[in-house]
Amino acid sequence: MRILNLLAISFFLGCYVPVVLAADASVTISSPTDGAKISSKSKIKVSYDVTRGQQGDHVHLYVDEKEIVVLRKLKGDYTVEPLDAGKHAICIKIVNKGHTPIGVQACTNVNII
Amino acid sequence: MENLSYAVVQVVHNFGAVAVVGGAVVALYSGATAALHHKLAWLVGFGWTAQAISGMGFAAVSYYYYDQFPDIHDIAMAALLIKMSCAVFGVSLVIIYLRYSATLAIERRHLIWILLAALGITALTAAAFLRWFS
Repeated sequence: MRILNLLAISFFLGCYVPVVLAADASVTISSPTDGAKISSKSKIKVSYDVTRGQQGDHVHLYVDEKEIVVLRKLKGDYTVEPLDAGKHAICIKIVNKGHTPIGVQACTNVNII
Repeated sequence: MENLSYAVVQVVHNFGAVAVVGGAVVALYSGATAALHHKLAWLVGFGWTAQAISGMGFAAVSYYYYDQFPDIHDIAMAALLIKMSCAVFGVSLVIIYLRYSATLAIERRHLIWILLAALGITALTAAAFLRWFS
C-alpha cells in the first residue's frame, strides 16, 4: 500500500507539476500596438517582455509566420526592417532549449502604409 | 520528465559523437592492428547509428510534449542537413570498411578512416550551429 502511495505521488508530480509551472510563462509586446499604422519606409521597433516559465528558454520572433531572429534577452527591443505595404503579424514565441515552441506566444498586427 | 527525456537523448547523442570522432582518430593515429581497426569500425558504426537515432529522439521528445517539432530554419536547418548527410555517409563508409577491409589496399583503408574522422568533425561543428541558431 505504501509503495502504491509513493507511485501515485510520483505519477502526480511527474505529470502535473511541469504543466503548472509552464503556465507561468508569458509574452507581452508593448510596441508596436495592435493595429498600428506604420510607414513602409520605417523600421519597426518591437518592444517585448518575456517571462519564460519553467520550460521556456528563449524566444523566436516571427513576421507573418516566418522566423526573423532568435532573441535570448527576455526583455528589450528588436528592430524589424521595413515591411511591404499591407497587414503583417509580428509574433514572439517562447521556445525551450531545443527550439520547440512551448505554446506561449504574443502577436501584434501592424498595417504598413 | 521532459527535461529527463531530453537529457537521456542528449547522453546517447554525446556518446555517439565521442565514438564517431574518437574511434576514427584512434584508428588513424594509434598504429592499431587490423583486428583493432575492425572493432573501431564497429564502434564508429554504432556511434553514427546512435547519433541518427538520438537526433530523431530530440524531435520525438519535442513532439511528445508539445505536438510540435523544433522550429528551425536557415542556418540551423542547413546544419541539421549536414549532420544527417554525415551520418548517412558515415554508416555507409563503415559498412564498406567492414565488408571489404580484408581486400582493400592499406591506402584505401587509411583514406576511409580519414573520411570518417572528417565526417565526425564536420558533424560536431554543425552541431554547434544547430544548437545556437534556429
